[in-house]
Amino acid sequence: MIKKIPWWVGGLLMALLLLFSFSIFGADRPIGASTYVPYFAGMIFDLDPEKYVYLTKINQPGSWEGVMLLGVLFGAFFNAIFITKTFRLTIVPAAWKKYKNNSVASRLIWSFVSGFFLIIGARLAGGCTSGHFMSGMSQTAISSIIFGVVVMIALFITGKLFYKDNADV
Amino acid sequence: MYDKDSNMLDRVLSMFQTVQDESHGSVILVFIIGIFFGSIIQYAKVHKFEKIAGFAMLKDTVVPKMLFLAIGITSIGLFFMIQFGWASYHIKPIMLGGLILGGIIFGVSMAIFGKCPGTGPVSVAEGRVDIMVGAIGGILGGLVFTVYYDKFQLIMGTNLGKISLTSYFEDTQGFVALIFGIILIAISIAIPLIEEIDEDDIGYQK
Repeated sequence: MIKKIPWWVGGLLMALLLLFSFSIFGADRPIGASTYVPYFAGMIFDLDPEKYVYLTKINQPGSWEGVMLLGVLFGAFFNAIFITKTFRLTIVPAAWKKYKNNSVASRLIWSFVSGFFLIIGARLAGGCTSGHFMSGMSQTAISSIIFGVVVMIALFITGKLFYKDNADV
Repeated sequence: MYDKDSNMLDRVLSMFQTVQDESHGSVILVFIIGIFFGSIIQYAKVHKFEKIAGFAMLKDTVVPKMLFLAIGITSIGLFFMIQFGWASYHIKPIMLGGLILGGIIFGVSMAIFGKCPGTGPVSVAEGRVDIMVGAIGGILGGLVFTVYYDKFQLIMGTNLGKISLTSYFEDTQGFVALIFGIILIAISIAIPLIEEIDEDDIGYQK
């Protein structure tokens, strides 16, 4: 059973999936993956859409992405258990140990904080790696190209400053 | 608070109903798109911390290679699909404050978290506890954004329009889309392949 695909197969398949989603034979809309987060927040905290206008605004894309996310979780869990066998409970990623530290507390606190701001950033910009980067740049959208350039610069600067250059191990 | 559970159930059902009522594919189709989306990410391993944080550290290039190839092919395919009337553009508006500040916050967070909102769920499904904790942070981020949306709107700035690169060219749009796509595909091939491997990942095969 195949457990890994090379980058070019991944890129080709992702392009076909994006095109299918865009097409009237598929979903007639781009794939996005950050609107579901505030949508679920509204669901979990039982916020009234009439009081919070943002929830009304994202009702349709939030629902669509919410259902898509269930598919992602189901598919990835199924694969992880039966095919790729990558399911295991872990806390600190291997490269974090190598380039940052071995501390569980450090990883969890940084994960919580970066998870929080990841969504704030995505919602401020109106999209993420999926909606802006992949779907947006495929439409040659100027907004997505601006987002892509800014994200890459911030990503590299953080990569340089936040992590150690040389591995401990 | 007492009927919170039933209310939650109502909201979940309303999510399915909303999708079913829209013309963006049936619930089953959208669910299947999700399965494929998650599986492609998972098999290509681009959801791994080593790949995303590794890209930020310039120690792994699988993410940009796959991303640029996907965008390049899609931009060419999409342009022709639109010509045939099989698809249409759904451009996001230019709001400079939101794009620049949001992009900076997103890029910094992505480098530290080693995930983005599309890849995080794949890692959650594989049992990564740190990402589950990050997801709780993310949901709180979504809560804060929803509650203080009026304040965030001030940062986002005015809508400067939904503009695409091809819209600047009148007669040569197809040519521009084609060149744009070819350049991105060329970039994806030109980026040298370097990989940061998670040795603990028994599913990994080079």
